[in-house]
Amino acid sequence: MTVLEQLNSTSIYLVCGVIVAFIAVVCVVFMARAWRAGKALGMDTVRMKRAITASATFSVLPSVGILLGVLALSGSLGVPWPWLRLSVIGALHYETQVADAAAEQLGISLGSDQMTTQAFSTIALLMSLCIVWGMILSALLNKKYLNRIQRGGGEKKAGGGFGDKAMAAMFIGMVSAYIGSYVGAFISGQGSFSFAGDWTPLVVVVVSALVMGVFTYLAEKKGAAWLDNFSIAGSMLCGMLAAVLIGH
Amino acid sequence: MNREQYYDAYMKKTHFLGRLVSVVSLVLLLGAPFVIGLILGALPDMGAVARGFLSVGLVWTVSSVVEFLVYTPMLGAGGSYLAFITGNLINMKIPCAMNAKELVGAKSGTPENEVISTLSIATSSLVTILVLFLGVLLLIPLQPVLQSPALQPAFANVVPALFGAMAYKYYRKDPVLAMIPLAVMTVLFTLVPSLTGSTSFMIIPSGALAIGLSYLKYRREAKGGAGA
Repeated sequence: MTVLEQLNSTSIYLVCGVIVAFIAVVCVVFMARAWRAGKALGMDTVRMKRAITASATFSVLPSVGILLGVLALSGSLGVPWPWLRLSVIGALHYETQVADAAAEQLGISLGSDQMTTQAFSTIALLMSLCIVWGMILSALLNKKYLNRIQRGGGEKKAGGGFGDKAMAAMFIGMVSAYIGSYVGAFISGQGSFSFAGDWTPLVVVVVSALVMGVFTYLAEKKGAAWLDNFSIAGSMLCGMLAAVLIGH
Repeated sequence: MNREQYYDAYMKKTHFLGRLVSVVSLVLLLGAPFVIGLILGALPDMGAVARGFLSVGLVWTVSSVVEFLVYTPMLGAGGSYLAFITGNLINMKIPCAMNAKELVGAKSGTPENEVISTLSIATSSLVTILVLFLGVLLLIPLQPVLQSPALQPAFANVVPALFGAMAYKYYRKDPVLAMIPLAVMTVLFTLVPSLTGSTSFMIIPSGALAIGLSYLKYRREAKGGAGA
């Protein structure tokens, strides 16, 4: 049996599948509790349903992208491990980078035929280890931190609520960092000011922003509010389609 | 029981459950490589794990702390416990929860936001789990289609596609303010192209700049409002 066949064996699927199932159950429990709490607090169930549908439609396309990550890693790590990592904890960028770094430490490269069973378990452990902090901090500090914010938030509310503005600004900053990186990669990616870098991401950004504009226009000006549920997914799909048409 | 008491009891139990499942997930995820190692007859090479951790782990530790500090208030208790277990924060969970929150008009820090964000993160996680489950089932027959070279650019550009849509959504709220971090980041990435490899870290200065500017504007408007 080759290493890859061993990594794709039923017993590995079983180990990973049990963990995925556990976390799926956790999600269902949290969802049911939140739904009940919302009802008990007098929230409109139509709005709660809307939040659920919007979140579900929103998540389909990114999830397909994540699935592709499983495909990308399955060539070197087998299917079940990347399936577990990307279903429940990681993000594709993170997993790929850490797996690659671990392989480097072992003097092999991902996707090569140098993979051994020990290299695999080492890579798998490093992938698990590097991203535990969010969970640890959550378990230790979430309650304390939120209580403190809540108290601070109470004071801020008297001043008119900067919290929501700060979150919107954080988003503006985040989007700016990514778009800035695409512009920078195009202008200087292949040598300073050579304007020879990859311009596909820029086109994708522009197309999906424009389509988002159309969605927003239809939703706000033409009374098609239901379109809002599909605005982000729809815009992303159009942007991605543009990338296919460009063929880069 | 009144509304406030009910919510307090709900939050208390949410924290208890959240802590419990975080610890159990931690044990499962760290234990899995050892269990798999036993099955394969090859336990992890701890020396290589330690060296690897020193090279890349520390970087991710810093980013995890920042993520915890930034996203926890956005997501509320239930949402953030789930989000830190299920991952894919920036590329999916955060925008997904913000989108849901926006749709129903819930304000940060309110019980309504706590409920909506938990519903949103749980739904999003379940969709991912389902899509990946179906995908893995279909993996063999699906592989040629999805890996067809013609489709690769689409999936390679899922992040720009997301940020394009988000840019329209958020920039229109304050286009003038948005231009400054965008210009600064563009200049920075153009002058130091190697930063492209650490875009996720550049979110921190860029976000700080945007929040700082937004705060200055907020203060000025608050003063102007008081003076008028």
